[in-house]
Amino acid sequence: MKRYEIRIAGFGGQGVVTVGKIVGLAAALYDKKNAVQTQSYGPESRGGACKSEVVLSDGEIHYPKVRTADVLVALSQPALDIYLKDLKTGGLLIIDPLTVVQEIPRTDVKVVKVPTAEIALEAGNKKFQNMVALGALASLTGVISRESFEKAIKDSVPPKTLGQNLEAFKKGSEYVRG
Amino acid sequence: MSEVDETAFEPLLSEEAQKALRGPLPPGDYYLFGSDACLEGAVFAGCRYYAGYPITPASEIMERAAQRMPQVGGRFIQMEDEISSACSLIGASWAGVKAMTATSGPGFSLMMEAVSFAVMSETPFLIVNVQRPGPGQGYITSSQEDVMQARWGHHGGGPIIALAPSSVQEMFDFTIQAFNYAEEWRVPVILLADETLAHMREKLTVPPWEKIKVLNRIKPQALGIPPEKFLPYEPYEGKVPPMPAWGDGYRVNVVGLVRHPDGNVTKYSPEMHMACVSRLVQKIEDHADEIAQVEGYHLEGCKNLVVAYGTVTRSAFEAVQELRGKGRTDIGFLRLKILWPFPDGKIRSLIKQVENVFFPEMNMGYLVHPLRESLRDRAKQFISIPFLGALHSPDLIIGEIIKVIAR
Amino acid sequence: MKMAQGAGRKAMGEKHPVPWALGLAPERVFMKHPMLEYLKETGAYGDRFPTIFCPGCGIGQALNYTLNAVDRIIKKDKIPRDHFCFIAGIGCSARVTSHYLGFDAIWSLHGRAPAVATGALLARPELRAIVVTGDGDAAAIGGNHFIQVCRRNLDMTVLCLNNNLYGMTGGQSSPTTSRGVPSTTAPYGNVENTFDLCEMAITAGANYVARWTTAHPQQCIQALEKGIRKKGLSFIEIMVQCPTHWKQEPAKMMKKFKSQGVRFSPEKRAEGLKKDQFWVGEFMDRERPEWLETYQKIMDRFQRP
Repeated sequence: MKRYEIRIAGFGGQGVVTVGKIVGLAAALYDKKNAVQTQSYGPESRGGACKSEVVLSDGEIHYPKVRTADVLVALSQPALDIYLKDLKTGGLLIIDPLTVVQEIPRTDVKVVKVPTAEIALEAGNKKFQNMVALGALASLTGVISRESFEKAIKDSVPPKTLGQNLEAFKKGSEYVRG
Repeated sequence: MSEVDETAFEPLLSEEAQKALRGPLPPGDYYLFGSDACLEGAVFAGCRYYAGYPITPASEIMERAAQRMPQVGGRFIQMEDEISSACSLIGASWAGVKAMTATSGPGFSLMMEAVSFAVMSETPFLIVNVQRPGPGQGYITSSQEDVMQARWGHHGGGPIIALAPSSVQEMFDFTIQAFNYAEEWRVPVILLADETLAHMREKLTVPPWEKIKVLNRIKPQALGIPPEKFLPYEPYEGKVPPMPAWGDGYRVNVVGLVRHPDGNVTKYSPEMHMACVSRLVQKIEDHADEIAQVEGYHLEGCKNLVVAYGTVTRSAFEAVQELRGKGRTDIGFLRLKILWPFPDGKIRSLIKQVENVFFPEMNMGYLVHPLRESLRDRAKQFISIPFLGALHSPDLIIGEIIKVIAR
Repeated sequence: MKMAQGAGRKAMGEKHPVPWALGLAPERVFMKHPMLEYLKETGAYGDRFPTIFCPGCGIGQALNYTLNAVDRIIKKDKIPRDHFCFIAGIGCSARVTSHYLGFDAIWSLHGRAPAVATGALLARPELRAIVVTGDGDAAAIGGNHFIQVCRRNLDMTVLCLNNNLYGMTGGQSSPTTSRGVPSTTAPYGNVENTFDLCEMAITAGANYVARWTTAHPQQCIQALEKGIRKKGLSFIEIMVQCPTHWKQEPAKMMKKFKSQGVRFSPEKRAEGLKKDQFWVGEFMDRERPEWLETYQKIMDRFQRP
């Protein structure tokens, strides 16, 4: 794999940065790839715009940020509005239909709608919606193994909520396969 | 005001003490922020004193230090400002311990007097500048705007050594190198990082410990020089004076003033002044080539040279690769790893004759000045590619290069 | 303020010539000063004595008292001489550390000596750090650092040699110069209120706070001895005469210290002070927790298996 670029964007507090961190961790430490992860925030901790990016490669990664994304996960309408243009032709767009409600203005990308909040609720709590998105991302891209993801999740969440996080991840990956 | 509750420490410590790592990172792979890698490099190099003040985007280095220092037998203190943070490094260094702080632009400005004192008194320590835009409060994103200040920001102008890392691995490696330079040359060293690098996560590989070189200052005791024969400001074998620690019995009177080799500060003469200061300047300038580290790529037959340092290296290199892939094989790349002393000699030995020199920087083209002087007779045009507030995208650099070479 | 006739530095030198100016060999005039063993009279590149201090300056006396106190602690408590470390900023007071001391010392940055001492102590806690500062160094530029070491209650001694002005730079007002007093920067009289450094030290949290003057030699030595020995921040202020800038005879100034310095006691405090009077004595002596021993508890936890 030369360069595979993932961008996750949404509001602060949706767990956007954690998703990016887990993807990078899974790829770098467990799948033995190279991964660089960056993020940027709006000034407010909750509610401001927030994006997280991961660049994966089997070789050395030079430019550490997204040039044109292979995958865009948009968890809010403003996130989609700003970042849709940087998605490659034929790229993958994962959205949450509850927050991203307007019609997608591009026809050359593959759109997958994942109601992350609903699915997270099934797993126990709406706050795990970022794990649902992660599960969908993992399953649809297939660039990192599921075992690596599960190890990375274990490294990144408190032991008390590990079970629920893994459940939400599982439900997210099952949803897009079904 | 109530008296302190001594039992408050207990629950915080019992869990931590169980799983704490009581030394440097063991060999292996880690996935860390640039900030974390930097602090771990310092711990590996033997840094056991950290003093700092909160400032975005450098606070994470300080916070990790607060956690790690007691674990590895060091001490951490949050000082009341950047001035006292830097000044306390002087005391810690003279008490025999490797010391560091991390800050950003506004704090860096406050530390300049301490840097000047350290240059004059030959006190080693490390300042990490996680650069952010300025001037003034500027902003809290990425920048390379303090590159000139690192060299010329302190009054009096004696040279320092500055390194510019570009990856999380280098935040670890270069921090260790920075301490080695400080100990070897008895000079304050600046690590010029930036916000992108500090907040980026990437793999860090810690090699087997025997493979990592760590240098320590030479003490007069190790050379068999007794206190009565020791001249604290007399260089040993023409390099630097040996440096005892307070408490070792050498009764050193440390001064930031012009002085004789025995430390006499009142028998002033212009000759003494010149001898004193010129030694400090030549100490680094005469060894600029030995200290310099540059990397060149595709320099054979290069007509258009792209020069970069720090995190911008990554954008610039990607741009160069892409242009070469599209057929522009006359494009070469030069990376500066050590910015100060400016690697004038090394650059001239590598670059014989080019047409255009492109220099992308996250500032308004500051380091292009010594570069232009270095290649004054070896290049026709110098084109600065400034971008403020964030990392250049390769497309921006490619665009600016094409503008010039496609004419 | 009246200017005494025939005072000032040049006039002082002419009225009281030093013995060697009269052709008298030093060995014939002096017995060896008992504190000379702690000083560097000379070096490979020349003599360091006589010091740069003006004739009649109180700093020399304060240094003598300090060395006496250090000498007592070395002999009584068997503390190694090389554990003592003098740290100064900038000013006349700070010049003691320039090249006269037979101890580890540093002549550092204006106002920052407490910060330098903080670093030294945290790096090597067995060091006995004595910060030598002046009223300008501690109350103006170094104010915050002074407050913070008191608040942290770090185990060091801060010795402030207060001559109520900036001596080295020519006699400007300092934050301890009284209201109404003229100086080079207050030619029409000082419009500002003053700082009481001892009160500041107490409020900030220092364990031991005392003030004496050069006219109280035994009390100075005892306060210094107690302060250096005591755990936590000890602040000792010594009022020193600056005959050069105040343009008064040093002996007269010391007489004034004796008469204007009122021994502190809680009862006396209620009575208040008259004009030109100031409190002397021990103002605070307590046992608040000290920084290094508190931090050591945290470090010890990580040493346990």
